[in-house]
Amino acid sequence: MVATSSAGREARRAAGERAYRYIADAGFSRVEPAILQPTAPFLDMSGEDIRGRLFLTAGPEGEELCLRPDYTIPVCLLHLARGGAAREARYAYLGPVFRARAGAEGELIQTGLESFGRRDIEAADAEILGLALEAAEAAGAGPLKVRIGDARVFDGVISALGLPEYWRRRVRRGVARGQPLEKILDRGGLTPFSKAGVLLALERADHDGARALVQDLLSIAGISTVGGRSPSEIADRFLEQAASRGDAGLGTEQMQALERFLAITGHPDAAALELRALAKDAGLEIGRALGSFEERTGFLAARGLAVDEFSYSAGFVRDLDYYTGFVFEAVSTDPKAAKPILGGGRYDGLARKLGANQETPAVGAAIWLDRLTAEGSV
Amino acid sequence: MTLTIAVPSKGRLQENTHDYFARAGLEIVQGRGVRDYRGSIVGLDGVEVAFLSASEIVGQLAAGAVHIGVTGEDLVREHVADVDAKLVLLTPLGFGRANVVVAAPQSWIDVRNMADLEDVCAHYRARRGERMRVATKYVNLTRRFFDEHGVSDYRIVESLGATEGAPAAGSAELIVDITTTGATLTANALKIIEDGTILRSEANLVASRRADWSDGARGAARAILSRLAASELARRSREVRAVLPAGKAQAVALAAAKFGASPEVSGDGMAVFLCPRARAAELADFLLSQGALRVVAQNVEQVFETDNPLYNALASKVFAAG
Repeated sequence: MVATSSAGREARRAAGERAYRYIADAGFSRVEPAILQPTAPFLDMSGEDIRGRLFLTAGPEGEELCLRPDYTIPVCLLHLARGGAAREARYAYLGPVFRARAGAEGELIQTGLESFGRRDIEAADAEILGLALEAAEAAGAGPLKVRIGDARVFDGVISALGLPEYWRRRVRRGVARGQPLEKILDRGGLTPFSKAGVLLALERADHDGARALVQDLLSIAGISTVGGRSPSEIADRFLEQAASRGDAGLGTEQMQALERFLAITGHPDAAALELRALAKDAGLEIGRALGSFEERTGFLAARGLAVDEFSYSAGFVRDLDYYTGFVFEAVSTDPKAAKPILGGGRYDGLARKLGANQETPAVGAAIWLDRLTAEGSV
Repeated sequence: MTLTIAVPSKGRLQENTHDYFARAGLEIVQGRGVRDYRGSIVGLDGVEVAFLSASEIVGQLAAGAVHIGVTGEDLVREHVADVDAKLVLLTPLGFGRANVVVAAPQSWIDVRNMADLEDVCAHYRARRGERMRVATKYVNLTRRFFDEHGVSDYRIVESLGATEGAPAAGSAELIVDITTTGATLTANALKIIEDGTILRSEANLVASRRADWSDGARGAARAILSRLAASELARRSREVRAVLPAGKAQAVALAAAKFGASPEVSGDGMAVFLCPRARAAELADFLLSQGALRVVAQNVEQVFETDNPLYNALASKVFAAG
């Protein structure tokens, strides 16, 4: 564990106070969720990958607890606990978050803002990015490079290509991790059931027939069904394997469209034109997502942000399902800076996944004060 | 200063460990009563033996509270972050064998390998909006292994006993657990995923890089590792002796090269080989074909050599870096 001077921490805290005050003055009210949080929501939302970065502990009854690794999920839980999910609310926070990292300090200071319930999503997106950049400046950040992406456009393209939902998530995860497309789409490792005669027979079967066959197979083999997946689910996967043989089922043209999409980067307006051209050429119905993208760019410019210097990447997405739209991050222009000083995005899917009974518009941003001090690479 | 060795305090692992040391002429004795958790090795001063559970041994080694310990590789890989920085696995011991495996219900006839499992996990989540649950006590091994295989749509349910019953009980869909013969898994209607063996584990002699390696501790470690290596080499070897007719000196060199046997020839023409156990019979046949009238092969108890692989490993990986 790396020791940090208390002077450094106080400097970061003071910078955080300045940024926080800027956010509060814009009409966001302070919220202070508990530092000690139940672990389950973080693992459910982010997957087990995050476990290694959590400081874990257990409660007296054995319940799994952790020190909060970020504010978004705890703030959303507080929002849900206090009333109807879809009501409008604006929250600001300042305090420590905890990430276990080898050879680095585990306690980091964050300030940030979250906005729930606004239906004018493009304007809300622009406001949050604008406020986050201004708050970072108030905290003392130097010049920043802003990178933007759009999960709605991304998901829209994948869906328009005809890929089912789990494929959409797989592609998004692979792209978020920087894997090449061939590797993401390669399902060579799957057991080649298409060679099994039974699957060829199933290709023409319906669901009931397939389920009956699976049940027969299990009982002939004397296998008892144990928990988890039902024979019906196993049959469904058999049928799907028979239909698509387990691969993404992308034709050459669709593959080229996907490659062309992922290669789109640059000025937001230029990118929008390229996206429109792609949609037209490949016959992708993504008009509403693109309309929203362009409208947002308009709001960003109207707010006086230097949109001309923003850089859009089609492949900039987060490996988190609940991010459903705009995503952004800002890195210091200092060449030594590696990690973003601020990041955020639209996460309309989170409230529902945390138990709300409806989709809830939500967008937010966090500023990493520890990366702000010195040359932005602390 | 003393050297502290931690050995398992119960079960088969304890018996096997005591046998392993006893074969090397190192008799571990417990203190005054059976409930005493400290002991010593007969005839060796400056060595303290700590009787601990296999998982406590891992923790004590990682913390540097004991110098050397006997414990399972599965526990080492599960409980120690950055193993190489803290520990050195000196040698596997040939007992305490168990595989850490991914096992799924036999009724999942469409699932054979990890790629199938990734696919099924993704479908399951898309269909139910929940992640597939994996019951295990090997949280870290599971997380790393699943990540390597691109499986991300799952949740770990920590299980502290009878993990193999979790799918039938409905508390998880699949498990990661240790198995020796697979019989318990089969009895619970589970099957091992083909490429789902995470680790082939066995008991290991493990050294701590963080312990206080004083001169006294080093000396005691050398004495112990020398005997353990001598008995280990003896166990893997046979002594083969034969008288070869005059003028057959070349046959000795040939035998040495062919069978990995190190020879010594005395004045009266007697050739004595130390030969890998499995090849002793072949060597005997060869010597007969070269004119020997009789070949005697026998077990040996200890073979001490200047070059001690156990101590060398300790010296190069622990002392040199320290």
